[in-house]
Amino acid sequence: MPDLMNHVEFRTALENAIKGKSANKAPFSIAWASGKLSRDHLARWAENHYHYVGPFADYLAYVYARMPERYTEAKDFLLANMYEEEIGGDRHTDLLIRFAEACGTTREHVIDPDNMTATTRGLQSWCYSVAMREDPIVAVAGLVVGLESQVPSIYRRQTPTLREKYKFSDEEVEFFDLHIVSDEIHGERGYQIVLEHANTVELQQRCLKICEVGAQMRLLYTTALYWDYVAKDVPISEIEGVESKVQQGERQLLQA
Amino acid sequence: MPKVTFHRDGHTYQGEVAENTNLVVRAGIRQFPYPHLRYGCGMGKCGKCACRVLKGAEQLPEPNWKEKKRLGPGLDRGYRLICQLWLSHDIELGQDDIPIEPLAPAIP
Repeated sequence: MPDLMNHVEFRTALENAIKGKSANKAPFSIAWASGKLSRDHLARWAENHYHYVGPFADYLAYVYARMPERYTEAKDFLLANMYEEEIGGDRHTDLLIRFAEACGTTREHVIDPDNMTATTRGLQSWCYSVAMREDPIVAVAGLVVGLESQVPSIYRRQTPTLREKYKFSDEEVEFFDLHIVSDEIHGERGYQIVLEHANTVELQQRCLKICEVGAQMRLLYTTALYWDYVAKDVPISEIEGVESKVQQGERQLLQA
Repeated sequence: MPKVTFHRDGHTYQGEVAENTNLVVRAGIRQFPYPHLRYGCGMGKCGKCACRVLKGAEQLPEPNWKEKKRLGPGLDRGYRLICQLWLSHDIELGQDDIPIEPLAPAIP
């Protein structure tokens, strides 16, 4: 039986759990980072990504409803997170749709659930399942620490790629820009909540496990995007050929 | 570590922050300049975080596209959107009692 970790040890363990090393080599991520995707491929990514991140406030609403009343700070954080996703400024999914339209698809096509893969539907279902069924602190670990907190560092590196290699305008890639600030706040406050309230060995271990599973789900989702949409145009041998040339950081795209 | 001097409502607050720090992120996680810095959307749209840069402006990067669209002539009066800035040098900021009115949103 592991020991109860102090905050420093537990934070380090969480950070290690969410690295999801195997996802770094997802072929879709490598193709994106190396400029091999077409705008049509990116449109398919946006259509799928919408159904993963679009319901994020819905996921959090389930966690909010089940969070114990005495955890006032945690409840307020979830409420603020939902507000900022939807109406704090531009609705985040509207910015994703703006990017999708720049890739050549339409709002109607993006929001139509028939246009996501079965694997994306699986990731979305996993997020709902975590929100509805897990201990609310474990759910914050899975959804906020495990998934949302990863976004800023990834998008900070990837936004220049979208501008420089794919030639998108500033407005077209605003979806990637905005997450740098808002998700940094959300991720850090998520860490604070989990560190404070996961105060038993069992809870800490469940938080670590759900972060590992989240990394696996991201890998599954990202890998399916390659095989479903890209493989027919960019063979895997070509991806493997550039893999060693792509910076590790750039390969982390789409993990969150 | 950058030193931040922040003026608001006739009071002055000072603190040190880590290299490459965004003050809206700091306030969002309940650290200095919380609770003194007013901010809103964190995405360069609402303008609530706008401050006049009193010292250290020369060390900042050029205003980005969001600041140009939202602040317009306010840039010439020394305003910047704090949510768009990552600080690496000492800076002195003043925030008005009433938020500056941002120009029209970038995309209708």
